[in-house]
Amino acid sequence: MDFLRQLFGSGDFQPHGYCYLWNPGLVWLHVISDALIALAYFTIPITLVWFIRKRRDLPFSWMFALFGVFIVACGATHLMEIWNLWHASYWLAGAIKAVTAAASVGTAILLVTLVPKLLDLPTHAQWIQASATLHQEARERQELELNLSLSEANYREHSELLDLTYDAICVRHMNNKIYYWNRGAERLYGWTKEEACGKTTHTLFQTRFPKPLAEIDAELQEKGFWEGELIHTLRDGRVVTVSSRWSLRTDASGKPVAILESNRDITQRKREEEKFRKLVESAPDAIVIVNHAGEIQLVNAQTEKIFGYSREELIGKKVEVLIPQRYLADHVSHRSTYAEAPRPREMGAGLELYGRRKGGAEFPVEVSLTPLEIGEDALISSAIRDITDRHRAAEALKASEERLQMAVEAAQFGVWDLDLASDRAFRSLRHDQIFGYDSLQPQWGAEIAESHVVPEDRERFRLSFAEAVKTNGFSVECRIHRAGDGSLRWISALGRVYRNLKGKPARMMGVVADITERKNAEQQLERHRQHLARSNAELAAVNKELEAFSYSVSHDLRAPLRHIDGFARILKEEHAAGLSEEGHRYLDRVMQAATQMGHLVDDLLNLARIGRREMEVKKANLDEIVRHAMENLIKVDGERKIEWHIEPLPETECDPGLLKLVFSNLLSNAVKFTRDRQPAVIEVGTRKSRGATVFFVRDNGVGFDPQYADKLFGVFQRLHRQDEFEGTGIGLATVQRIIHRHGGEVWAESQPEKGTTFFFTLGPQAASPVPAEPAGVQHDRK
Amino acid sequence: MTENDVIEILLVEDNPSDAELTLHAFSKSKLANQVRLVRDGEEALNFLFCRGPFAERSFDHPPTLILLDLKLPKVNGLQVLEAVKSDPRTKAIPVIILTSSKEEQDLVASYKFGVNSYIQKPVDFSAFQDVVKQLGMYWLLVNCKPPKTAFSAA
Repeated sequence: MDFLRQLFGSGDFQPHGYCYLWNPGLVWLHVISDALIALAYFTIPITLVWFIRKRRDLPFSWMFALFGVFIVACGATHLMEIWNLWHASYWLAGAIKAVTAAASVGTAILLVTLVPKLLDLPTHAQWIQASATLHQEARERQELELNLSLSEANYREHSELLDLTYDAICVRHMNNKIYYWNRGAERLYGWTKEEACGKTTHTLFQTRFPKPLAEIDAELQEKGFWEGELIHTLRDGRVVTVSSRWSLRTDASGKPVAILESNRDITQRKREEEKFRKLVESAPDAIVIVNHAGEIQLVNAQTEKIFGYSREELIGKKVEVLIPQRYLADHVSHRSTYAEAPRPREMGAGLELYGRRKGGAEFPVEVSLTPLEIGEDALISSAIRDITDRHRAAEALKASEERLQMAVEAAQFGVWDLDLASDRAFRSLRHDQIFGYDSLQPQWGAEIAESHVVPEDRERFRLSFAEAVKTNGFSVECRIHRAGDGSLRWISALGRVYRNLKGKPARMMGVVADITERKNAEQQLERHRQHLARSNAELAAVNKELEAFSYSVSHDLRAPLRHIDGFARILKEEHAAGLSEEGHRYLDRVMQAATQMGHLVDDLLNLARIGRREMEVKKANLDEIVRHAMENLIKVDGERKIEWHIEPLPETECDPGLLKLVFSNLLSNAVKFTRDRQPAVIEVGTRKSRGATVFFVRDNGVGFDPQYADKLFGVFQRLHRQDEFEGTGIGLATVQRIIHRHGGEVWAESQPEKGTTFFFTLGPQAASPVPAEPAGVQHDRK
Repeated sequence: MTENDVIEILLVEDNPSDAELTLHAFSKSKLANQVRLVRDGEEALNFLFCRGPFAERSFDHPPTLILLDLKLPKVNGLQVLEAVKSDPRTKAIPVIILTSSKEEQDLVASYKFGVNSYIQKPVDFSAFQDVVKQLGMYWLLVNCKPPKTAFSAA
């Protein structure tokens, strides 16, 4: 309270008037001047306040406020000057001055800092410009307001128009509750406006989204709309694909308030697209659709298969990726040319086209191009067919044709191709040459051909031709008279009938060959054959006679010998008393002769039998055969002392029965001609000569003079007198015949008194390898 | 000797020399009395099958042994053999071929028809005599004759 009293009180101070000595003039001068200053100082802030209030947009308005406060404070000091003329409230006046000082210092400081900013303020011209813009905006606003009022006026009408659009339109709140539902929506979905309003869209439609709903909403928020395809279920349960466009509606402050969804049923279109897609997909050819820039837009499964790329690798790439490097430059220019004037056509007619697989391998293709106009896009569809197989087949066909051509030329065949309807034939030159012409004749046909056939063969020719039409195969051999020299030739024609689509014979194609030489050879062969047959028959007859002869010999020749011997013996034994000693001797001679004759007959029959009988060749153990023959000899002539040296013999392909005869003959010879030897030595073995096995039988007997060696194997040829060594002269002839029948050779080496060695082979192929170490086996007979 | 006397040996032989020599050999072995000689195949069959001139004979008394030559007039030895061996009334009678040859074809045919023995007559008469003696001994004394029931059809 003291402070306030002191502040507002006068204390002990004299009023200011005292300083002016209460001079009325001076006092009033101060009073009026201070009053006017204060009035002016108070008026300025009021104006500033008004100004600020009017121009809220002004920058730095707080500066004006501070200035106002400073002026008011200044005004207040002047009022205090008037007050203190009569009251001495110098503390109050001082306090007010302090406030004024603070305000003025603050203002001064602020003004200093503010000046650079004030310098940035627009100039007056700028202000004018801004003002003009402001004006424009004001006008536009006016128009907008006008339009708005118009829209509002037409709102009903628009609503009705929305109802008329074919598309289904529904508007929903941000919580997805429907509040607008046009007639198109009723038509498409089946729910009435009343039924639909208030429902949640996605639940009602059982919407299936192409991507998560959150992503769609985000896009909607960002761009204000979203477009895409949705799958909706209708009231009746049908499922449809719709092309949907969502638009975001915002209020004046930009806050989203509703979503307008406009849906169009594109199920039918989708089905068509699907059909198209499947059609393309299942096409047997690779289908590649490119745009005008040559970029691949679509490929089908076959494309992936034959080119080896996946769909993803191809879409968007230049079509040249599918084309071999060496065609690239040409292709690019061809493509541009085609793009300018597209029409369906085969690509590269007459050229071989190649595709390039992933990895660079090339393969032959056939390409057909079709322009496709879809909307503004000018697309080109190419159907590409891998014709590797066809190429291969064509190459194989070409090769086979070449081979055929070679065969035809090599065989000197003439080729003909006859059109049955017109009886005109294409021929090779060789064909006409076969018929005796030097060059191709202008005309040829079956009739002309027939006219060359000799009259005796014409009927056969005609029959074969008629038969061919039935059986499709034409084959005839006939004689012709050649044109020109008229020489008689044999020809052979072969053909095949080709039928037209109705199954009627249309063409006959074939070959013709001159077979005169073959025919001659055949005829000669036939003559030989007949001759041979006759010879054979004769031979058979001779053989039969021979057989009958030897049969008779066997029976009838022996019988008289037996009788001679028999009766001679009876005479000798039962009538001995009536015979002289000489008579006895003669009877002995008769009996000996008969016995000898019996041996001769037996040996001759054997020899004949060997020539006649069939060979029974098999692998045989010769050791056994030799042992058998040896044992038989020992049985007959048991008294003799003979050293046998018999090597193991190889198993050999032969007729064992005949080989047994060979060894019996050779061994019995050896036994016979070693009769005087002490000891007699007989060896059997083999040796190798020029790869063949040579068998030998060696004795240390009397031997023979080699100059007679060639007589050794003749029938009835003997090198010893009968009284030295008995024998028929048939044994070695038999041996030789057997060896010859085996394809082998037999020979002998001998010196008188030095023994004899007989060698034989059984044909080069008949010999098997000799045992590695032929160990001599001794059979000593004491 | 009536037709129904027991005949031990039926000798079928056309050649009189052979027949005589054979009979001579049998006589040496004291068997000649029991030999009946027929001169060809037809006669042999008539005898064996009791027909023609031998109609009086009975099948009850078959010969003990038949000695058969192959080369015979009219009906040859093989045909006789075949007839004998294919008839149950005669099948059991032992048949011996006694012939000059031993041609393979004859051997084969004989054994196929069921001959009991095949002998080639040796040229040497003393050897022949031995053979005749041996076969007489063997077939008439050593060998057991077929019993009567062996000649029935069953």
